[in-house]
Amino acid sequence: MGALPFESVEELQAVLGRYAYLADRGLATAVWLSLALNKPLLLEGEAGVGKTEVAKVLSELLDRRLVRLQCYEGIDASQALYEWDYSRQLIAVRAAQLGEHEADLFGPDFLVERPLLAAIRAGSRAVLLIDELDRADDEFEAFLLEVLSEFAVTIPEIGRVAAEQPPAVIITSNRTRELHDALKRRCLYHWIDHPSVEREVQIVRVRAPEVPEVLARQVARAVARLRTMDVAKRPGVAETIDWSQALAFLGADRLESETASATLGALVKDHEDLELVRAKLDEVLEPE
Amino acid sequence: MPDEGRARPRGEALMDATLQLRGIERLVGFGRMLRSRGLPVGTGRILAFCRAVAALGHFDRESLYLAGRLTMVARKEDFDAYDRAFQQWFPQARDRLLAELAGWQPEARIEIEREIEVLVGEALSEERAAEGEGEEGDEEVTIGLVASGTEMLRARSFEDLSEAERREADLAIRNLAVVLPMRRARRYRAAPRGQRFDLRRTLRSSLRTQGEPFRRSWRSRRTKRRPLVLLLDVSGSMSAYSRALLQFGYAAVRAGQRVEVFAFGTRLTRLTRSLRRSEPDLALRQVAASVLDWEGGTRIGASLKDLLDRYGQQSWMRGAVVVLCSDGLERGDPVLLAAQMARLGRVAHRLVWVNPLKGSPRYEPLARGMAAALPHVDSFLPGHNLQSLESLCEVLSS
Repeated sequence: MGALPFESVEELQAVLGRYAYLADRGLATAVWLSLALNKPLLLEGEAGVGKTEVAKVLSELLDRRLVRLQCYEGIDASQALYEWDYSRQLIAVRAAQLGEHEADLFGPDFLVERPLLAAIRAGSRAVLLIDELDRADDEFEAFLLEVLSEFAVTIPEIGRVAAEQPPAVIITSNRTRELHDALKRRCLYHWIDHPSVEREVQIVRVRAPEVPEVLARQVARAVARLRTMDVAKRPGVAETIDWSQALAFLGADRLESETASATLGALVKDHEDLELVRAKLDEVLEPE
Repeated sequence: MPDEGRARPRGEALMDATLQLRGIERLVGFGRMLRSRGLPVGTGRILAFCRAVAALGHFDRESLYLAGRLTMVARKEDFDAYDRAFQQWFPQARDRLLAELAGWQPEARIEIEREIEVLVGEALSEERAAEGEGEEGDEEVTIGLVASGTEMLRARSFEDLSEAERREADLAIRNLAVVLPMRRARRYRAAPRGQRFDLRRTLRSSLRTQGEPFRRSWRSRRTKRRPLVLLLDVSGSMSAYSRALLQFGYAAVRAGQRVEVFAFGTRLTRLTRSLRRSEPDLALRQVAASVLDWEGGTRIGASLKDLLDRYGQQSWMRGAVVVLCSDGLERGDPVLLAAQMARLGRVAHRLVWVNPLKGSPRYEPLARGMAAALPHVDSFLPGHNLQSLESLCEVLSS
């Protein structure tokens, strides 16, 4: 852990803030321990609370390369780890037949590097983001477990590739299904909640400086109220920022029902929710 | 522990060593407490906890709390249980013993790691010895099925069956072949007559023929079975039928298919887990015990809303075959029911409503709730006897 550029959790929290990511103590501790103990960090939380963003900011502030593996249903080793460049191999075979120079068909030249291999090769110069792991199938999870525990792969034709120092790993999940316990056991687990009103005001101010303070505060309060209402999809921080920006773009410096109603689509993205919020708009804006 | 090189804030080395040991015991004890409360905390996690505390380097209560939660809890649902345990194990804002440990040095930490492992290992072997006794495998006794009796049962309504007949019917239901429809998955597999060219395999086999791709390979989409979601009305008038359907769900679980089961009366209860563990009868009885107001009537709309809000995004809801078993006598607002049925219809692949009242030839869906829900239902079936459950099977697999 000597390689860490910060002394304590508080310092990391401050540095994150300088990179426009306002993390609370829990998240900062999670990131710090993940780096100190070399353990992957599993982040869960509702959509739009900034799970993916953590990895991006971390790669910036550590000055490491961000390697992103976006998971989806049916992803397999050839899309996550490596694949041979078949078309080029085919051409090389043809060329060899015509008597041109011989090529080593299964050499590094024909290897297509996918995110996991890239991360293993880069080792501690990378931050590996495994995004939305819950979308992949459980078989893929088992495969990932193997890679995460060793940080080495064996490519039969080339040999073993191992990371000298494991990369920092951030895994995110939206909880469309429960991840396997074996994987969780290897990770630190943190749940990111919606931020408090105070913090959300700060986030809006940092991310969208053009939004006036008064407006940002009113927006954050309105969103917090909306989240306690009976909506199917609760808006995330990203939506709060979008909405504030939309309002600021229209020249609003206070939250008023007319502009709020016109821009509501930036915040609420479900038809039934939209109807519900429109009906109770006054309640959302200022309940008194 | 040896500590040359660095100035220590307090105490002699020897005293520190015993202090550290007591500190670790305290941390390990906390992990064991969590485990005794049913959280899945193994040696590895306790070890990670101790390491995390050592790595943090200071021992204020919040750091301890976070370190423990990060390393030993892996589900948001367990946070509450963790909070309670933490409150009891570290009750004071300042834990005297741990506060004294604040002078822990990194060098010393490496030494203590072995100590942690020994401690945790001991704790585990003790527990295993304690668990070893009194555990018996619960073998299931299989009863032969009398075919002729089943024939008689087929046309009779579940409500009219005696307890013995009911058990027989249960067996018959469990033997029904629940086959769910397929859907296209994203993955491909090799197929001799696939629609897509498989460059990878073609090239591989062409190497055998000196690069000449004689044998061309093809691939096609894999298919997957759709999940089944059962929603069972457990109010008094419905219990006989729901029980039969639960057996039906049990059969599907046994057949290795993805099945989620929910019971509802005035509120929604998820049965999937208990169904996986215990017999369907037992599971249903447990739910029945938890439903307090039998005569309060059913609130289908509110229960569906709860279901969709909580699980609407789950992969087993999207594209699932949803079977709802209820008499449709809604006590809540039919407008809410209609809206929720529409939502459910959009999420599900197919929506089947099983209404035992439909078994009667004179039944017409006039109840306000039923009338509101019907436009969103893909199939409307009786399901009051074995015969009708067989036809349900056919509808499901088509």
